[in-house]
Amino acid sequence: MLIVLKMNSVGEDCTDLKREYDQCFNRWFAEKFLKEDRSGDPCTEMFKKYQHCVQKAIKEKNIPIDGVEFMGPNKEKPDS
Amino acid sequence: MTISSCLVTWLLFCFSNWAIFTMFNLVYPWETVIKAAMRKYPNPMNPNVVGVDVLDRNLDTDGRLHSHRLLSTEWGLPGIVRILGTGHTRTYVKEHSIVDPEEKKMELYSTNITLTNLVSVDERLVYRPHPDNPEVTVLTQEAIITVKGVSLSSYLEGMMALRMSANARKGWDAIEWIIQNSERENVPLCELY
Repeated sequence: MLIVLKMNSVGEDCTDLKREYDQCFNRWFAEKFLKEDRSGDPCTEMFKKYQHCVQKAIKEKNIPIDGVEFMGPNKEKPDS
Repeated sequence: MTISSCLVTWLLFCFSNWAIFTMFNLVYPWETVIKAAMRKYPNPMNPNVVGVDVLDRNLDTDGRLHSHRLLSTEWGLPGIVRILGTGHTRTYVKEHSIVDPEEKKMELYSTNITLTNLVSVDERLVYRPHPDNPEVTVLTQEAIITVKGVSLSSYLEGMMALRMSANARKGWDAIEWIIQNSERENVPLCELY
């Protein structure tokens, strides 16, 4: 029996918006993007709503999303 | 030991670097693997990942899809947390993935954005079709761990490196789990939830 697991958003209130957007994106990704179909992205409006919620949650939780990049200077990497 | 050799030893422990390189073959075509990789969480191999959000997504002028994601992870490591002197067990990771459907290449870069004053974990994953067999996908995974500012013993650093390579294996098992569960139920990956 398959147990359908669902992922939460980082902002608890955003989970429903996230799942709605993810479903739209996953469909577009599999059926259009990977088949190199360049027709429009149907998920833009959904993404805007979802983003508005997530950005609010990030601010509230003080999550430091800016300023740290992969192997970036802020990581203070020693010379190897 | 003289004071200067103690200092050098301490500095060596403080600024040590571990690099781990792993390579996996998975007997599924690239498209199947990529669809699973894009919806990797949740899965039973990564119970620590408790939240995933897309921060930004766009197509570049070469038709490649860039996604920037935020992962929140909950670590049941009270001992380590106490040693490091922080009360937080919730950590955050930023991911940047690039999918090129023409070249059949997916790259994923991840880096921790919390606890950065204590440790850096930078990972780079690349998924490509096997050059000799289109039914097989090759994942190469590089991780660079830097421990800084804390005099951890080389034993602890080694344990962290071992944990990283164990996690590399778990990451691949996770992709395989996602693919097999969708196949078993005959549900296309995009319809799974």
